[in-house]
Amino acid sequence: MRVSRDSWLVAGALSVQLVLSGIYFLFPRYGNVQYAIFEVFAGLAILEIAYGVRRYRPVPWSPWLVFALGIAAFIAGDIFTDAQPNAVSPSPSDISYLVGYPLLAATVVMLVISSGSHRRTGALLDAMIVTFAFSTFQWIYVMFPAVHASGPLGGRIVLGILFPVMDIILLGAAAGFFVTPAWRTPAFALLVLGMGTQLLGDTAVSLSPDYTGSGWTDWPFMASYIFWGAAALHPSMRRLGEPTERTVGGVSRWRLAVLAAALLSVPVARVIADVQGRMIGVWVVAALSGAICLLVIARIAGILRSMDRARRLLAEQNEELVQADRLKDEFIALVSHDLRTPLTSIIGYVELALDDGSDAPLDEERRRYLEVVARSSDRLLRLVDDLLLAARLQSGRFALNVGEADLEKVAQEVLDEMHGRAERKGVSLFAACEGPTIVEGDRRRLMQLLDNLVSNAIKFTPQGGRVELRVERALDGAIVEVLDTGVGIEEGDEERIFDRFYRSSSSVTEHVQGTGLGLFIARAIAERHGGSLVARRRENGGSAFRLELPARVVLTYPETEEELVA
Amino acid sequence: MTTVLVAEDDDDILLLVATRLRRDGYDVVTARNGVEALRLVRERKPDVAVLDIGMPPPDGLEVTRQIRDDRELASIRLILLTAKAQASDIQRGIDTGADAYVSKPFSPAELSARVAALLDG
Repeated sequence: MRVSRDSWLVAGALSVQLVLSGIYFLFPRYGNVQYAIFEVFAGLAILEIAYGVRRYRPVPWSPWLVFALGIAAFIAGDIFTDAQPNAVSPSPSDISYLVGYPLLAATVVMLVISSGSHRRTGALLDAMIVTFAFSTFQWIYVMFPAVHASGPLGGRIVLGILFPVMDIILLGAAAGFFVTPAWRTPAFALLVLGMGTQLLGDTAVSLSPDYTGSGWTDWPFMASYIFWGAAALHPSMRRLGEPTERTVGGVSRWRLAVLAAALLSVPVARVIADVQGRMIGVWVVAALSGAICLLVIARIAGILRSMDRARRLLAEQNEELVQADRLKDEFIALVSHDLRTPLTSIIGYVELALDDGSDAPLDEERRRYLEVVARSSDRLLRLVDDLLLAARLQSGRFALNVGEADLEKVAQEVLDEMHGRAERKGVSLFAACEGPTIVEGDRRRLMQLLDNLVSNAIKFTPQGGRVELRVERALDGAIVEVLDTGVGIEEGDEERIFDRFYRSSSSVTEHVQGTGLGLFIARAIAERHGGSLVARRRENGGSAFRLELPARVVLTYPETEEELVA
Repeated sequence: MTTVLVAEDDDDILLLVATRLRRDGYDVVTARNGVEALRLVRERKPDVAVLDIGMPPPDGLEVTRQIRDDRELASIRLILLTAKAQASDIQRGIDTGADAYVSKPFSPAELSARVAALLDG
């Protein structure tokens, strides 16, 4: 994958800032330098957001403004903390932080809404499942102990309830992105990483009641500023709020993992709490656990329903395609039939006009014109016949007029007919027969088959080449081979050339005329006789077609047929 | 003179066949439907009748059947004209009692040759 200049910019900014954040710990604790460094990272994040909005022009851009305001509220909170480190909760700094959190959560919610995810039941369920699972941990490890701890009620509520609830809202809102394609973007990953480190920091703070700041617990907060800034720098930030199409819910490994993790969160939290000898507030945990189970079931039911819908849609479309194909065949059959009637008149009257027995003989010029008409209508007739036959073969309404056929004679007749064409093209035509080779079959159709193979060989063989027709008796039937020294068959095309309407790329580039029906018909005739027709490339160039026919016709279709057209 | 009846509802085809056969020296009578064809067969007793399978009823197959059921008409040679070169169609015609068939589109010369061959045989 090509990495753009913008991606390098993000990676550069991210790594430089993460390394520089280490400087923080080189300075004395509770010193102004430490405070300044901390706020530089927060301020940088705001600047990066401003730069990203100007550069990528996201629509809407308001979530990013709210995001920057949220970070600004955090900076205010930090400044209050630095000024009055020992203020009793709820202090001005606590209030600033509590203003910042809803702004961050609002950013994510605004992005989700502008992408349209909130209208999808699946997205809402995903968000709720993640919210409840995370709530379980927050309850057991942060909220329950804080609520039951000693100390002023205000502080307990702020530290033990409000902060954790904000974290839960933040994570739940981010989970709403799960079903939009935007969740795979680097911008979303960085945004979530920032929130993750924020939650990590909050949890660490809540778990250490004697928190005073300035220690290692400050690093996660710095890191979240750095990640958020980087998210706004990445070009994919534009896609976060873009409206997304409804996608058919599949059961990806990711989705299953998230659902399983959500289901397992309560038992795992419960076991850890038990090992640590913690009180857990059984009623709340049981309620959360029940809610998660119901939500996961609802989610899975939704996925199954949407897959079912997709399957039904596919079946309907398939049915329509089959119908369309059948209509097309019927149409071809009808048109071919209606074309034959006027052709009868054209061919017949041209023949009459060219007939020497006529009372008023033609002059040379008119004769030449009429000969062109005769040749063209012959070609048109063959084309119509091929189309009609192909349509009949396709619909299975085709029957053989089975009798005895001497392949040697058939081959000879085909060669006689093709002689003129081969001569005009400068291709030499040879036959090798072992004598009378009699098989059961439809003589007219077998002739058509060999005719198609030989005329095909002549078409694709350049001047000076040779085409050979071999007829051999086999143990139980006959083998006919048509060999040429022409352009040959392209690698991998040996089967495709028998497809209906298939035109090889060489036939297109060499301007060889044809409908792509000749070989399809030839193979179909061979198979109706219970035989086979295959093609291969010859080692020294050119192609070889091998027809195997059984001595007796093996009928693979009903002998009587429904008439296609009356 | 040898008389040939041609029964066919398409005027162009009828003229085509009649012209060819007249040029080849036959006395040609024409009909545009089955009723007319049966009447002319009985009146003129042609040597050969060329019948279009798809003409207005009674169609070529039905006319063939009625001619074959009539002992007086036993010597008439019958050729069926068919728009469908389908094996079952041809088989049905032969089973009914036709002597030969020519499928459309056909060459007038080929049809004339068929008539000549039937008269020889």
